[in-house]
Amino acid sequence: MYRPQKWILQAIQRGYRRHYVHAYLFISPVLLVFGLFRVWPALQTLYFSFYRVELASHRLVYVGLENFIDLFHDDIFLGAVINTFLYAFAIVPISAAAGLILAVLFNERFPAKELLKGVYFAPMVTSTVAAAVVWWWLYNPQYGLFNAILRLLHLPPSPWLLSTKTALLSIVLFSIWKTVGYNMVIYIAGLQAIPSEFYEAATIDGASSIQQFWRITVPLLAPVTTFILIYNGIFAFQVFDQVLVLTGGGPANATNVIVLEIYRQAFQRYRFGYAAAEAMVLFLLILIITIIQFRTSRRFEVTY
Amino acid sequence: MRARQILVIGVLFLLVLGSTEAFPGGRRILTLWYPAGEITQSTLPLRDPTVFAPFEATNNVKIEMVAVDYDTMQQKIFAAAAAGNIADILFIDTSWLPGFLKENLLEQVDPAKAKRWLASVSPEIATLSDYGGGTMWGYPQMGHDIYGLTWNKQHFKEAGLDPERPPQTWDELREYCRRLVKRDAAGNIIRVGYAIRHVGHPHGVVHKHLWAIWGAGADLIDNPNALRGGRAMFNNEGGRAALKLVLDMLNVDKCTSLNFPDPRAAFLSGIASMQISETVSIRARQPREAPNMPWSTGWGMWLPPARKKGDKPVTLLGAWLFSVPKASRNKELAWKAIEWLNSEVNDYRLAAKFNLTPRYKSNWAKEPFKSDSYVQTLLKMGPYGRRLPINLGLNGIMDALGGAIQKAWHGEASVEAALAEAERLANKAIQDAMK
Repeated sequence: MYRPQKWILQAIQRGYRRHYVHAYLFISPVLLVFGLFRVWPALQTLYFSFYRVELASHRLVYVGLENFIDLFHDDIFLGAVINTFLYAFAIVPISAAAGLILAVLFNERFPAKELLKGVYFAPMVTSTVAAAVVWWWLYNPQYGLFNAILRLLHLPPSPWLLSTKTALLSIVLFSIWKTVGYNMVIYIAGLQAIPSEFYEAATIDGASSIQQFWRITVPLLAPVTTFILIYNGIFAFQVFDQVLVLTGGGPANATNVIVLEIYRQAFQRYRFGYAAAEAMVLFLLILIITIIQFRTSRRFEVTY
Repeated sequence: MRARQILVIGVLFLLVLGSTEAFPGGRRILTLWYPAGEITQSTLPLRDPTVFAPFEATNNVKIEMVAVDYDTMQQKIFAAAAAGNIADILFIDTSWLPGFLKENLLEQVDPAKAKRWLASVSPEIATLSDYGGGTMWGYPQMGHDIYGLTWNKQHFKEAGLDPERPPQTWDELREYCRRLVKRDAAGNIIRVGYAIRHVGHPHGVVHKHLWAIWGAGADLIDNPNALRGGRAMFNNEGGRAALKLVLDMLNVDKCTSLNFPDPRAAFLSGIASMQISETVSIRARQPREAPNMPWSTGWGMWLPPARKKGDKPVTLLGAWLFSVPKASRNKELAWKAIEWLNSEVNDYRLAAKFNLTPRYKSNWAKEPFKSDSYVQTLLKMGPYGRRLPINLGLNGIMDALGGAIQKAWHGEASVEAALAEAERLANKAIQDAMK
């Protein structure tokens, strides 16, 4: 009869004493769900990326690196990568900077402050699709609010979403509006954690408000800024909903982004293996950028 | 103890209730998926819960009709097929057909039944049904979905044009457009003579300009019935002429504008005098959105203009198909239900009830269709309709051509450069789809 080795029994007993078993039991539902709906599909995507996949008929043909090689000769995918980078590099710093400015303003006392804070945060809790539909109308060249304002200011109307030159910019503007409230709230929390003694000492030393902002606020908020950059960066690379609703990737692929391209290849052209390869490239891009951001951020770690 | 007994009895009750709901009277259940909302008028019968009542009574079956969101319907069908848990009957957009065939998802209509169907329906319905050599993948909807020119008769009168005579050629279209355009004191266009679709999904842009591309002798692909292979056929003299037609209206005639991006909405709100799109959509929306512009006296409908006098006009004919997926668990019964729905008797009954056009030749000659001027106009337009090709690369072809149209009309590339690039992308899509 099989008897478990003594060290195994000891390990279980030790785990029991230290409550490891209980802890794992408690988190096991989450681990199970996470594994089933996150880890397993991710591994399956990696697997599919080396195959030509016909999902409905369950037919898989091994093609090695063919999908990845094709990707680098695909102008539309490369265009989508460039658009995604342009989008991310525009939205992440602008949205973070705007959030910081708003947070500093909201750190002061003034009437209706909480109401205004709610107004700025509201887009964050609004459905992206619903908000994008409203913005589609705001961008309408004939009836839209934005062109009405331009006309009032005697400025020429803009084609907004209708031109390859302005469409991506229009999506960036929408996304900034959508994310700035979240960044503001995170920065407000960061600002409230900075001890007031720093500002008092700086005031006694004769530092102006601007100097205090650059020499105290910005450096001490570095960990918050790092979090915001990483968080917004990851989401920026995954942009999809607003692009699908506002432009569908057009005009002429001018706003096509990686996730939309994955969606098109998988669910409109039924090239699941190829779409899986695109998803792996996106995963690698996000991973590399996150590692760079983490490493860079270590330089700005602060304790107070 | 008592609480536990109550709980057990409660669970048993729910189980019994659930099973009686799932198998009402021991009847089998067939499911039918169709698009929710006003995507196509041909879903009107499917929104009536009694539409299958006679069939259900005689076949001891219950047909559950499930409205599925159109935007994600294609993906849902695919995911359901991959999971092996799909509806027994699908009402699908024909533009999805290539992808479904690539994945071997649909049953073919029995050849003998297909032959009978093709012989008894009107020619345009036969065009929509036949995917080469009498092969059918489903039965097209009732209710013609044909693209046509619609015009505002009041605007025609104001511009001194005959309200009963739409433009017949491209030259006439330009001339009418110039006469119909309206500007404010500052010279800004406040009403376009002809509204163009140039934004949104590239497929929609192509759909609304295919009349010109086809009419000029260009095409999407060389063989519309081939599932694999072939090459794009729009980068030629005809294709260039088709794109230049609108470019001239924009830049030379200045009678249309990029600022009126939704032609149907513009037409119905009176800020566009002419537009070309799905006529059935104007028919459905007009009573609600433009009650003062009734059919016949307020607006007219006819084929898009031909390139020059003597040329045959051509337009896009779309359809939804009643089809049976291979993964259906009740294939035989599903076909039986579809054949019942698409029988000559029900074609007449349902078309008359829901104000749709019938498909059988014999039904067109009956009342109320015979004396309905709208229906009879559709009947005259039908023979000029052409359906989309079936090629597996169709999606990529449409994306490429739609992008080229947008670039050319937005002035971001010359017509020649835009079409050359689109041709390269379309041919690549065709090749990729073959892999």
